[in-house]
Amino acid sequence: MEKKDIIQSFKDSLFTGLIALALFGPIVGLRTVSKGEGLFITPQWGVVFLLVGLCILGRFLININSARRKEFKIFSTLSSKFSSITEDKAKHFAITGILFAVVFPFLPFTDRYFMDVAIMILTYIMLGWGLNIVVGLAGLLDLGYVAFYAVGAYSYALIATTFGWSFWICLPLAGVFAAFFGILLGFPVLRLRGDYLAIVTLGFGEIIRIILINWYEVTNGPDGITGIPRPSFFGLPFKRSPDEGETSFHLFFNLEYSTMHRIIFLYYLILVLALITNYFTLKIRKLPVGRAWEALREDEIACKSLGVNPTNTKLTAFAIGAMFGGFAGSFFATRQAFISPESFTFIESAIIVAIVVLGGMGSQTGVVLASIFLIGITEMFRDLEQYRMIAFGGAMVLIMVFKPKGILANRKPTILMHGDKK
Amino acid sequence: MSNLLSVENLTMKFGGLTAIDDLSFDAKNNQITSIIGPNGAGKTTVFNCLTGFYKPTNGQMFLHKEDNKISLRKYTDFKIAYVAKVARTFQNIRLFPAMSVLENLLVAQHNELMVASGYSLFGLLNLKSYRDKEQLAVDKAKYWLDIIGLTHRADDNAGDLPYGDQRKLEIVRAMCIEPRLLCLDEPAAGLNPKESAELNKLLKFIKTEKQTGILLIEHDMSVVMGISDHVVVLNYGKKIFEGTADQTKNSKEVIEAYLGVDE
Repeated sequence: MEKKDIIQSFKDSLFTGLIALALFGPIVGLRTVSKGEGLFITPQWGVVFLLVGLCILGRFLININSARRKEFKIFSTLSSKFSSITEDKAKHFAITGILFAVVFPFLPFTDRYFMDVAIMILTYIMLGWGLNIVVGLAGLLDLGYVAFYAVGAYSYALIATTFGWSFWICLPLAGVFAAFFGILLGFPVLRLRGDYLAIVTLGFGEIIRIILINWYEVTNGPDGITGIPRPSFFGLPFKRSPDEGETSFHLFFNLEYSTMHRIIFLYYLILVLALITNYFTLKIRKLPVGRAWEALREDEIACKSLGVNPTNTKLTAFAIGAMFGGFAGSFFATRQAFISPESFTFIESAIIVAIVVLGGMGSQTGVVLASIFLIGITEMFRDLEQYRMIAFGGAMVLIMVFKPKGILANRKPTILMHGDKK
Repeated sequence: MSNLLSVENLTMKFGGLTAIDDLSFDAKNNQITSIIGPNGAGKTTVFNCLTGFYKPTNGQMFLHKEDNKISLRKYTDFKIAYVAKVARTFQNIRLFPAMSVLENLLVAQHNELMVASGYSLFGLLNLKSYRDKEQLAVDKAKYWLDIIGLTHRADDNAGDLPYGDQRKLEIVRAMCIEPRLLCLDEPAAGLNPKESAELNKLLKFIKTEKQTGILLIEHDMSVVMGISDHVVVLNYGKKIFEGTADQTKNSKEVIEAYLGVDE
């Protein structure tokens, strides 16, 4: 680097420092303190000079770096390496991932907290996979996906508390109810696309939440539903002391009682549910209806000209996507044993959409990576309290800058004529 | 030669604008009927009426099927292609760009495959009956790809093909629904002379081998005059001339309105 460049960048950093001084001087430097009967100004110039110094130094370093044209080179090589690994070895990656997920509860470092986070991540993975059908395959931007999650959770909770039916009966029922609501939402929005569709679905999500708050007689309003039955291990409940004439899990298998048993069972339950969602999506994508979804995403008019019925195609996408949302919802209800409308706010929808978009629309592995990344980041920065949303936002910006089409954005054809040569 | 399509007193008005004014013409089986005319003459509007994208203000369109005739007005939207078997291509290519060439051709066979897959149920169970049907669909796609010479690119994204190949792919995709009438909206637009010649060959093949009637909108006179059996000339929504290619070339009205005179 030439001497001229250094002087130039030094000047530039001094200028940056001047701006920083103008900004931080009044904002940070003059602190008002209320003492007794009035406000007093306490100057804290030390902090100001520290901040300004940091700005100057930072600017100088950036300048030097860009002069060498090495700016962010590490990031781009890292990300390209990363995607080439996953593209080549997608299958190995998936198998390793599943194996890891299976042995995860028995790893030495796994404690209660890790299990809870893992269950949460898996729930979001399942929701992401469910929404991927609607957004990734059919190209219908749904910002109200949490509505189906809520319908599933409430159907499960109401049926289970009213009739006392077991988890395995309530689960499909909750899915059916959610699918029904999917069709209900689908009908009015058939003609809408893009932004307009997004707005209506967003409204739909809010409508469901507000109904849940106000329909007090059925949903118990903002108080929520308590005492939702816990799932049992094929009829064996996870209780320390089972009721009369009942055997509990630990007695049946002759184990010492531990609360972890239930957590581990829940973990495997959501793992299986999520894997079913994934398997179903991978299968249906290769069927005519899956291809019609993708064709609809690509060009609706061309679809019509080829005799593809857009109404049925869109409604099946909404219904199937909603059904998996409903399954995830009933899992959520049985895990929490308590649900209230507060769990189904817009931010949940936003997170799920973010997972699908950041993962790369339509990519199943992408959803997994994005869920781990987004949920993991918010968990990792839990100590930062309210600032963790900044970490969340920062993570999203980083992905969008370096991978604008999502972490894994490659699409594999659903059928090959010449076999897998590459 | 029997009639395939008869258009009777077709009128289409958009508010105060009459895009098609009392148009009547026939298209025959195994013939290429061209519709030509200056820009804004209403050619594409005729297509949009025929293929159910617009509902005409007035008039009838009949598709003859053996002895009975079916009215196209009864069908809208996707049913034109599904039930009446009228296929079309578009002025601006409308492929599914992010899907592979083969997938494009399979989507065109959606309805048969949907039934074969038991509305996804047999497909999810991976029954042999469905797999066989899918193989048949792939074979059909391969048949058409062999004809246009794109078999080696079957697994590439349709959007990655060169422009001329995309045009041809759109035509064979429409042929995959086994149409009785194929409506082509400016298939030669943007093609070089060599590609135009290949297009002529393809259209002649479809006409003779597949016994499909073709309705063609085109500005490229080398295509129109080379392959048309019948030419309908429109100007301001009205039919100003109808006849064979040679008659059209020498008609005074057509030359004045559209073809132009040499200085």
